[in-house]
Amino acid sequence: MNLDKRKRELVKEFSPTLEHYSLKTKLWIGSLVAIILVGVYAFFVQLINGHIVTGMRDNVVWGIYIINFIFFVGISYSGAFISGILHFFKTPWKNSVSRIVELITVLSLLIGPIFILLCIGRLDRLHYIFLYPRIQSPITWDIIAIMTDLVGCFIYLYLTFIPDFAILRDNDDIKVSQWKKKLYRFLAMNYQDTKSQRERLHKITRTMSVMVIVLALVAYTVLAWIFSLTLQPGWNSTIFAPYFIVAGLYSGVGVIIIAMYATRKFFHLERHIRKVHFVAAGIVLLVLSLLFGYFTFSEYFARWFSHKSTDGQLLHTLFSGYFWEFIFANYIGVLIPIFILFFKKFRTIKSITFAAVIAVLGLWLNRFLIVVPTLETPYLPIQDTREAFVHYSATWVEYALSFAGIAAFCLLFTLLIKLVPIIPMSGIIDYEREQNKRKKLKGKNKNK
Amino acid sequence: MKNTFFKYSFLASFIVLLLVGNKNFAQDKIKEEEFNLSKYKTIYKFNSLKQTDNSRLLEVSLVVQNKKNRKDKIPVFKADIDFYNVLGDEEILLGSAQTSEEGIAKYSVPATQQYLVDEDGYINLIARFNGTEELKGKDEDIAVKDLNLELTLTEIDSVKTVIVKAFTIDSLGIKTPIEEADLIVSVKGMLSNMPVEEGTIEEGLFEYEFPNDIPGDDDGDLTVVVSIEDNDDFGNIIQEKSVNWGIHNVTPLKKAKNTLWSDSAPLWMYIVLTILLVGVWANYIYTIFNLFKIKNEGQKLEVTTEE
Repeated sequence: MNLDKRKRELVKEFSPTLEHYSLKTKLWIGSLVAIILVGVYAFFVQLINGHIVTGMRDNVVWGIYIINFIFFVGISYSGAFISGILHFFKTPWKNSVSRIVELITVLSLLIGPIFILLCIGRLDRLHYIFLYPRIQSPITWDIIAIMTDLVGCFIYLYLTFIPDFAILRDNDDIKVSQWKKKLYRFLAMNYQDTKSQRERLHKITRTMSVMVIVLALVAYTVLAWIFSLTLQPGWNSTIFAPYFIVAGLYSGVGVIIIAMYATRKFFHLERHIRKVHFVAAGIVLLVLSLLFGYFTFSEYFARWFSHKSTDGQLLHTLFSGYFWEFIFANYIGVLIPIFILFFKKFRTIKSITFAAVIAVLGLWLNRFLIVVPTLETPYLPIQDTREAFVHYSATWVEYALSFAGIAAFCLLFTLLIKLVPIIPMSGIIDYEREQNKRKKLKGKNKNK
Repeated sequence: MKNTFFKYSFLASFIVLLLVGNKNFAQDKIKEEEFNLSKYKTIYKFNSLKQTDNSRLLEVSLVVQNKKNRKDKIPVFKADIDFYNVLGDEEILLGSAQTSEEGIAKYSVPATQQYLVDEDGYINLIARFNGTEELKGKDEDIAVKDLNLELTLTEIDSVKTVIVKAFTIDSLGIKTPIEEADLIVSVKGMLSNMPVEEGTIEEGLFEYEFPNDIPGDDDGDLTVVVSIEDNDDFGNIIQEKSVNWGIHNVTPLKKAKNTLWSDSAPLWMYIVLTILLVGVWANYIYTIFNLFKIKNEGQKLEVTTEE
């Protein structure tokens, strides 16, 4: 195999996605920027007026910001977990999805914590967390876990990018701006794809892939403990950590499928992201939906069966005030994906993506039901307080900032896939190199 | 259309039938479960207790009990009970009381009450329930002598001694010690009394060496209680006194160390966190170190190619 020729071919194949910004792309970026600008305005409204412009009050102190935080961080951890598995076990079809997964991992871990900052009433005292940390507090554990995980994911993502940066640096045919070429040169870190460099890079990437799996498990467990180590009915549960991990994986796989569908459609990557990849991801989603359904049932069944008055009140709140949200999150959000993915004849690209959309929406609502109705039904009864303090409803500021977060995620994703190909070229080369090696070995064995 | 009408009519009739049928059934059940007083017998008990301030507590318990099932007992609530002091045909109403939800009526006769006493020195008391439409009237009488208990708590040659004198007083004010009666010495507790000695009053006197190892309250105080229970002649009598004879045995609370609300976290938490963080960050440093190796190797290659 002529490596240089193959690299040139791959650059030629993927260069259109890097070189040009089509009208469609420009419009897409423009609309995302517009949404973000509305979010920025909403942020200043909140900064100037305080949390009174949100739906959060004395009793329901958390709203959709924290839900977005859990949701994004969950996606990130599941991305890290899946990416680590793909790399560590050298999954044959990893090239088609690995970069999508890695980008989702890092970007959601960047966006998620911003929402926690929006929850804080006194941002001017934020540095107190670092100056006076309480090691006993799960919040401190979570901050340490998120920061460590963020650094780990960045390093891991960068390691997987290096060979592609080197290919792009060495290829003069690609028509990108001068600053981009300089950036490729800088980020490629003199990587020449020699045997020793390749082996060294593979070794540290493999170690980091294990590290991100462990970190994802630890960090999401710690996030679950923020809730489950309290006495709040609805949160105080021993299975909350594994439940959070399964829920995070479920939503993460859903977002990956949606991202696979969007990039495939947008960049015409039908040759690289094939039906077989969707089916494989769909089966993973099916297994996770079954697991998620099992955990959800165990969680609510135990609460109902315990006959504790506080749990009873929570279930009453769920079934009276949030009936349809409960049905969508825990029935439709689980059963429809199971139904679509269980039968082979329903496993088409569109239906799998539809199942993923339902799963993601269901999961977001599930997070909502974990946070809001629980705070509306506290362990200590609410007395002599205003009606507005007891019940939560999100305001335009919160919605604007939430959509801005989603838009920022999409914008960064779009910009990053304009920087490096969405399908790792180095991965394709490595795969072909492995195939050639095997062929040669087979040939030698036959000759013997 | 016709079919639909019949279908829904049938369904509606079926539901109505179910509801009506169920209602009738429920009513039958209620009738069956209606309270039948003829199956119950009345249990009526009367007691008296001479209290520490020499007042006399008269207590009646009025309960109905199922004749077949002894466990099925129902207290009679708000029954009027009259208490009398009787001598021959003469009856003096001492007072009245209503039974509580537990079926107990209590009346405390003040210490100043002058009782009618028979020639043997007995006070005859009657507790009378006049009855209602459903329940027959009941009365119960008891006869007790007016006994006085004099309790002295003193240290004789550094020995803590409980001295009890028991006597009756006649109309001329002459004290007559009693011949014999069983007595219990106890120490007052939060929920019930703890017996420390059971003995007999002989010739109107009882002496007891109080133990040195009984715990008291925070100040070492305790209450010694002496009582005569269910005596044929004297009924129930109680007397008590507080004294500083208890040992002060309070274990001071140990200051909890390294708890979740203390200034510093438990040691194991620091160890686990340090191991985890050092493990992870050491790996990051190792990765970055290898990256620089890759960079340096590439740089050397570039220099060699240029030469």
